[in-house]
Order: sequence, then structure tokens, then C-alpha cells
Amino acid sequence: MDLMTILSTVVSTTLIYSAPLIFTSIGGSFSEHSGIVNVGLEGIMVIGAFSSIVFSLFMSKTFGWITPWIGLFVGGIIGTLFSLIHAVATINWRTDHIISGTVLNLMAPALGIYLTKLIFDGKGQTGFISQPLASSKIPFLSKIPIIGKIFFENTSIVAYIGILVSIFSWWLLKYTRFGLRLRSVGEHPEAADSVGISVYFYRYCGVLISGFLGGIGGAIMAESITLNFSGTTIAGQGFMSLAAMIFGKWNPIGAMGAAVFFGFAQSLAIIGKYIPIIAKIPNYWFTIAPYLITIIVLVAFVGKSQAPAADGSTFVKSK
Amino acid sequence: MKLGRKFSLIAVLMMVGIGLTACGSNQSKSGNKNNSSKSNISAALVTDVGGVDDKSFNQSGWEGLEKWGKKNGLKKGVNGYNYAQSNSDADFAPNINKLIQAKYKTIFGTGYKLVSAIKNAAKANPKTNFVIIDDVIKANNVASVTFKDNEAAFLAGVAAAETTKTKKVGFIGGQRGLVIDRFEAGYRQGVAAVDKSIKVDVKYADSFAKPDVGQALAKAMFNNDEDIIYQASGGTGSGVFSAAKNEIKKKKVWVIGVDRDQEDEGNYSGGNLTLTSTLKGVGTVVEKMATSVQKNKFPGGKVSTYGLKEKGVDLTKGHLNSDALKAVENYRKQIIDGKIKVVERPSQLK
Amino acid sequence: MRIKKVRLGGISVPLISIFLGLVVGAIIMLLSGFNPLINYLNLFSGALGTPNAIGEVFRSATPLILTALGFSIANSAGFFNVGLSGQALAGWLASVWFALAFPHLPGFILLPGSIIMGALAGAFWSGIAGFLRAYFGTSEVITTIMLNYISLYGTNAIVKGVLTSSDADSTPLVPIQARLRTPFLEKLTGNSTFHWGIVISFFMVFVIWWLMKKTTLGFEIRSVGMNEDAARYAGMSTKKTIISSMLLSGALAGLGGAMEGLGNFQNIFVNTSLPDIGFDGMSVSLLATGNPIGIIFSALLFGILKIGGLNISISSNTPSEIVNIVIASVIFFVGANYIIQYLISKMKISHKSAKLISNSTKGGHK
Repeated sequence: MDLMTILSTVVSTTLIYSAPLIFTSIGGSFSEHSGIVNVGLEGIMVIGAFSSIVFSLFMSKTFGWITPWIGLFVGGIIGTLFSLIHAVATINWRTDHIISGTVLNLMAPALGIYLTKLIFDGKGQTGFISQPLASSKIPFLSKIPIIGKIFFENTSIVAYIGILVSIFSWWLLKYTRFGLRLRSVGEHPEAADSVGISVYFYRYCGVLISGFLGGIGGAIMAESITLNFSGTTIAGQGFMSLAAMIFGKWNPIGAMGAAVFFGFAQSLAIIGKYIPIIAKIPNYWFTIAPYLITIIVLVAFVGKSQAPAADGSTFVKSK
Repeated sequence: MKLGRKFSLIAVLMMVGIGLTACGSNQSKSGNKNNSSKSNISAALVTDVGGVDDKSFNQSGWEGLEKWGKKNGLKKGVNGYNYAQSNSDADFAPNINKLIQAKYKTIFGTGYKLVSAIKNAAKANPKTNFVIIDDVIKANNVASVTFKDNEAAFLAGVAAAETTKTKKVGFIGGQRGLVIDRFEAGYRQGVAAVDKSIKVDVKYADSFAKPDVGQALAKAMFNNDEDIIYQASGGTGSGVFSAAKNEIKKKKVWVIGVDRDQEDEGNYSGGNLTLTSTLKGVGTVVEKMATSVQKNKFPGGKVSTYGLKEKGVDLTKGHLNSDALKAVENYRKQIIDGKIKVVERPSQLK
Repeated sequence: MRIKKVRLGGISVPLISIFLGLVVGAIIMLLSGFNPLINYLNLFSGALGTPNAIGEVFRSATPLILTALGFSIANSAGFFNVGLSGQALAGWLASVWFALAFPHLPGFILLPGSIIMGALAGAFWSGIAGFLRAYFGTSEVITTIMLNYISLYGTNAIVKGVLTSSDADSTPLVPIQARLRTPFLEKLTGNSTFHWGIVISFFMVFVIWWLMKKTTLGFEIRSVGMNEDAARYAGMSTKKTIISSMLLSGALAGLGGAMEGLGNFQNIFVNTSLPDIGFDGMSVSLLATGNPIGIIFSALLFGILKIGGLNISISSNTPSEIVNIVIASVIFFVGANYIIQYLISKMKISHKSAKLISNSTKGGHK
């Protein structure tokens, strides 16, 4: 492979891997900024993947090429509904956040496969969608010499949308009234309550946004990578997103950066096998490398991550 | 205090359990009586975590058993044909025992992970027949079945070599292991048999359930000018197909499917990109074994090997052009006649 | 990220949770046209109907008790140990490796030696996360997730490259004197995989209960978990406490893995995914709200549902996933004990009981 090919391969494989994680980890940071720990991201992704695939299988004739995009939205909506369980449990019913999140993780794959078997005649896997979320070139940007070919040709558009979403989310959390209030209920709910901010409302917003983005994340995995739904469609990506969120210090841009970094590490492991000098190293080192690199980078450059002060707490409005 | 509470809780649970058990066992007894006149030929399959619709050998095995059962007028369930779904590797032994208790005459299992569970059960239940697929157990009531996957993979290699335009082809495996070794070895030998100058790029995802890594690996291969990828990687393979669907808009690429006809996976808006698939006839073998029990000819203690000759493995016609088909038929004949010996391990390749 | 101590208002809450979980499962089955009564009958007879089934229930509870204890210790110290499965796998590997390496040692050395090696390997694996957390402030959530994957792929590489002669996919069985399964137990339980590990699990429950309640270390772990700064001001070495709680947590997970290696499977093979006992152990611990004695019962309940659940796919067309839906619902209701107690108090008009409950929930959510 020549250098150009290597670079464009690194970029495109990085984005393939990161796209689902970007959305989900941004979602996680919304939830946690509002004070609700969300370890149920994995479960939310499963439900998002399941619902988007079911939608695509039944509706692709009606909607044609736009089906996968609507599918992402459907995944987000159903993800939001599913995260409502977490919201009600943690915000109103004072359930421990980790218990409730674990319930989502346990419930989602079981429910997803159960429903798949009901819908598809006892089959535990769906068929394949005919209109996948394909990669394509980004108009105008792909015309830029060199950079265009490396970054914007035959690439994952959703990943770029995810990057935009992360910037928007960062702005939303940092500079808007909504964002300030959402963060205030996660830092000091009693104080926020005393100045008349509805802690419950903003916490609901945080959790439901994480459900929406997590659902989209799962849907991306299904609509662009596996193209069907089965028990192995989502296998650990939710936890990787959780790690990306903490790695990025609860900042949406940071979370996105960490997700891209995970993808980059995976990509290096893949492209490394094409670089003659290191290609002789046994395969398992390449497989382990991304995880090892993550720990090293985390220890060497990132250091301590501080969660929002009231993250994981239950707020009870005093009467 | 707490201890006392929990104790009474478990006591209640146990009582409920025992109460229910009594009903349960009554039921199964009355169920057995109805069919006691007929000789018992019931058969069941223990799946691995993939389940009976894994689009791979579990599914193929189950389809074979269903076919056999329906042909003989049996029903799914006790005294007929059935499967037991394992949700983890720890479920194999209890599942086998549950099937034995339900009086199934023949029990099928696939893969090295089931070996020790079947070995144990076979020792303790000499009257039950067991079939282990893809591995070998030495016991009088166990029939072992192995497949010459390498022969089908050889033909896949021939097909790839005859079809490639770039003189570079790829192979993506799940986890390295004795079974996947056969696929890799056969494929490489097949490619080399046609044209030694064609490069075979072999990569492993180290997992059967990492479609994202599969897609990234395939993408790298396509960028490296490889135009055909043979995937033997289970769930990881779905990423290989989706990568090909992205690539096909730019240039002609193919994927070769594994274990069953993966034509469905290859459908895209402009046609189909599954060049061909290697087939592994787990279903046919399961059907054959169940029938042999019926005829009192169960090959217990024997190892049967199914290759191209026995029609245990095969290659689909797929979208091969006529030259490639001709070459495949030519090599198939040579393998069946024993003129070409296909190796089983990559290390045995010259 | 610490589970708060939940005071379960008497036996009623766990019982009601189990009942409600079964009701949720029943409703789902009814809605999808399956008969819940017959399925539950099959489930319970499949779990408790034969000596073999009961043996399997106890066998499946054995490692879960240990991994659940491991989760709850880390949790008491304020850590979210997501790495139980990786630690268990490390323990599984080490115990089998040791047993295979010294096949001629007598049983009274080889068996305890293998078990201890399993615990040490688990402790080493979680110790990395504990060390990084104590000295670099690195989030244990990230490191344990990453260490899980390293454990999975590393273990597979060692199984294939080192432990098997001809590059096979599974090792030979460990020597007879290192096995926890014995012919006696097999005879007793109708050839089940039940093994002596259950004694170790029960013993560790006692040890951990004693450690947490009666020793300074236990007190320090709980103090750090409640408020790290306060514990430091009180003169405790928080670094030491952090590391020792993670070491203990991993050692227990490693023991759980050793139970699989020396008991259930008696060997190690190339794993396609991380062992279930990690995440299941976490669920068991949450179900028991971290209480060591409660862990025994919730592990057994887990075993009953899982082993009994196998019967569902054999005896009916109902998807066996219903079992996990029930398990998730039960844990959900245990977690939502506040609302259950609130509803109970609504139903009782008595002032006294209402007051009691409001007190207990206040105490529970500080």
C-alpha cells in the first residue's frame, strides 16, 4: 500500500469503528451531567439496533434509499422510550443508578431476541436489510486536493455528523440556558432547586437524550455494519462508549475525541498488519494493542477524570 | 434478623419449587406412556450459544433434524425431535442431561467445546447415542463426524483465483483454531494451484462476534487492491459483507460465503456480490445419523469423514463465470479421485 | 458510583420483587400467546425436579457467589469493578495452568495450590486497575473494561500457544487430584457437574462477612467508599485501602474462575467471549444489595432461573430469553424497593408502619 492508501484506510476504518461510539458516549455525558449515572448504554444500543432493523426490514420498500436514515431516527425514538425505564426508576423511584442501568443491559438483549423470535417466526436473527447506511463521498470537501481523498471520499458520513453533534452538544451544555440548568442539577441539585429549577425535568431530559443518542448509536451499528439484528450485533460497544465518556472527562467533544481515539487504535492494529516491519508480530498483539494503548494513554496523558459532583445521587424534593 | 428473613424466603421458594416439581414430573410420566409402544428413535440437538438460527452449522444441523423428523411423522418435543438452546458454555452439560432425562435416543453436538460434556454423558449413559461433529470422541456409543472443510475451501480458492482481476485475494478468519485452519489451508492451496503468483492476504479478527473489526479489515483489504474476500468468521463476517456493499459502488468486489449459501447476505441494490459459498452439510449428516439409528445401524465408536466425495462439503455455483466453473469442476474431480491431496493446516503448505 | 445500602423492609420486598418479576414475565408470555403457568412449571421442575438439576443449580451458583462477593467488596470501597469477567478468566487460566504444570504433585498440595494461583491471578489483574486508580487517579471503569479484552485475547493466545501441544483449541483435563468434581458427587447428583467448590464459596461468604464487619480493613474499605476525603483526614491510608479492596475483589473473581477451571470444565479452552460469571455476578450482587448472606440466596435464585430456564426451550416453543426478562424484572423491583414500600405503606392505614417505612427509606438514601 502506498502512503495515500494507508492514510485513507486509517481514516475510514477509524470512523467505521467510532461512529456508533461517538453518538452513544455523547448521550452518556448528557445523562451524567444531569446527575444520573447511565451504565445501561449497552442495553439502549441493543434496543436501538433492534428497532431500526425491524423498521428497515418492513419499510424499505416504502421509503427507498432514505430508509436507513429514518431507521436511525426510529432507533433513537425507541431508545428514548427504553431509557424512560431508567429515568422513572432513578429519578422518581429512587432506584440505585447502577442497579437500574444493569437492568437495562440485562433486559435489552433478552427482549430484543424474544421479540425477534415472535416477529420472525421463531428465528433468533433477522434477515438482512436491503438498504444499508452506505458510506459515500462528501460533496465539495472531497474535491480538496490530498485531504479530500484521505478524509472525505468513500467515508462514513454518520461519523462526521457525530462530530458535529458533539460540537453542538458541547455548545448546548456550556452556553445555553438549557445546558447550564441541566448541569446545575447534576452538580448541586439542592441549590438548583432552591432557585426554582426543576431538578426532575432536567434529569429526565438528560436521561432521555442519552436514550435517543444511544439508540442512534446502536442503530448505526446495525444499519451500517451488521445489516441485521442478532445477539451479537452489540457486543461491548455500550461499555466502550461508557469508557469513552469518562476518558473524555464527561465533555461531549472529549467523549467524541475518545471514541475516535478508540477507533484509531483499532485501525492502527489493522493497518499495522500491512506495514512490513511490524507485520511479523504475532496476531494477538495486534488484537490486544488497542486496549493496551488506551490504558497507557489514559495513564500518561489524561489522568484523573472527575465526574459531575452529584452524579449518581438521588434527589428528593423537600416539601 | 436478616438471615432469618432470607431463610424463610428460600424456604418458601423451595416449597413452591417442590410443589411444582411434583406436578411437573407427573406430567412427563403420563406423556411417556402414550408412546411407549413405538420404539424410541427420538433425537435432539444441543446448540451452542448461536442457537438454531445462527445462519451457520447449528441452523444447518437443526434443519436436517427437522427434515428427518417431518419425514417420519414426528413432532417437535419429547419423543420426537427437538433442540436444547445453550446460553453459555456452562449450559452444555445440564442441557445434555435434561435431554437424556427426557429419554432422547440420539443427541447431537457440534464443536470442541462440547467434547468433555458429551464424553462424560456418554460414559454415564451407555444406552444413549451421541454424535459429535467437528471433533472426535472414542467411545462405543459416540459417533464422530468430521468434515473436510479444506476440500471445499480449496475449490473456493480455485474460484477466487479464476475470478480475481487484481491478482490479490483476501481471507478473513474468526478465531484461529483447528476448524478455521482447514478453511485457510484449503483456500490458500486452491489459489496457489491455479496461479502461484496470486497473493493471498490472511487476516484474523480474533473473534467471531466483531462485525466492526470485520468491516474495517475488509475495508483495508479492498484498499489494498484485493477484490475477493473469503470470510470464515461467523458474526464478524457480516461486517465483511457490509464493507463490500460500500466498495462495490467504486469497483467490482466479491465475497465468498461460508458454511451455508450466503447469497442472501450478498444482495445489494445493483445485484449480488456473493461470488459463491462453501457448504458444510451438517444437516445432511444429522439426517443420515438419525436415520441410521432408525435402522439400528448407528455407527457408534466410528469416525466418519465427509468430504467432496461423500458430498458432505460443496461449493455453490453462485455467480461464477463459466471458466471458473469449469476449473472448479476439474479440481473437484481431481480431489475426489485422490490426485490432489488438500492439506488441513496452514503450516503444511509448501 | 456506589450502591447505597438498601434496607429491605422485611422479607416482603424481596418476595414481592420475585413475585412481580414472575408476573411481568407471565404478562409478556400471555401477550405473545404462550402459557405462563406451564412454562413456570417446566422452569421450576427443570431446576429442582431431579438431583441432577439441583446439582446443576448449586454448581452454577458456586462461581456466582464468588464474583458477586468480589463486586460487592469493590463497590463498598466506592469502585465500579466492571472487570470481574476478565479477572475470572485470568483466575481460570492460572488455576488450570498450575494444575497442568505439576501433574505429579499430591492432591493436598496441587488442589489448594491451583485454587490459590487462580485467586492470585485474579488479584493481579484487578490490582493493575487498583494501582492505577490509587497512584494516577485513572478511572477503574475504563481500565477494567480494557483489561477484560486484554484478558480474553491474552488467555486465548496462551491456551493456543503455550498450554496445548499441537495448537489445539482446548487443553487436556486437569489431573484427577486437582479436580473439584468427584465420582462421589457425580453419583450423588445423577452425573451433574456439581463440585466441591460450593464449600469454598460458602466459606468465602463467611470470610468476607467477617472481614467487612469485624476487621479494621473492612471498616477502612467502607469508610473510603463513603467518603474518601474524610477517610484520609481520619488518618487512613486511602491508597492502601483502594488497592487492597481491588485486590480482594479480583481475588474473589479469580476464585470464581478457578471454580470453572477446576470444577465445572476441568480444563480451559479458546473462549469466544468473556465468561458470563462476571456480569452475572454483578447482577447477583445487586440483587442481594451487596449483603454477603443475601448473595448466597440470590446466586441460588439465579441458578434456579438459569438451569430451569433451559427446560423452556426443550419443553415448549416459548423463547427461552423470557428467563432473562424475568431476572431483569426481579432486579428492577429490588432496586425500586422504595416504590414498593411506598405502595405497601399506602395500603396500610396504620400510622405506625408508615412512619417506620419513611424512616427506613430516609436512612437508605443518604
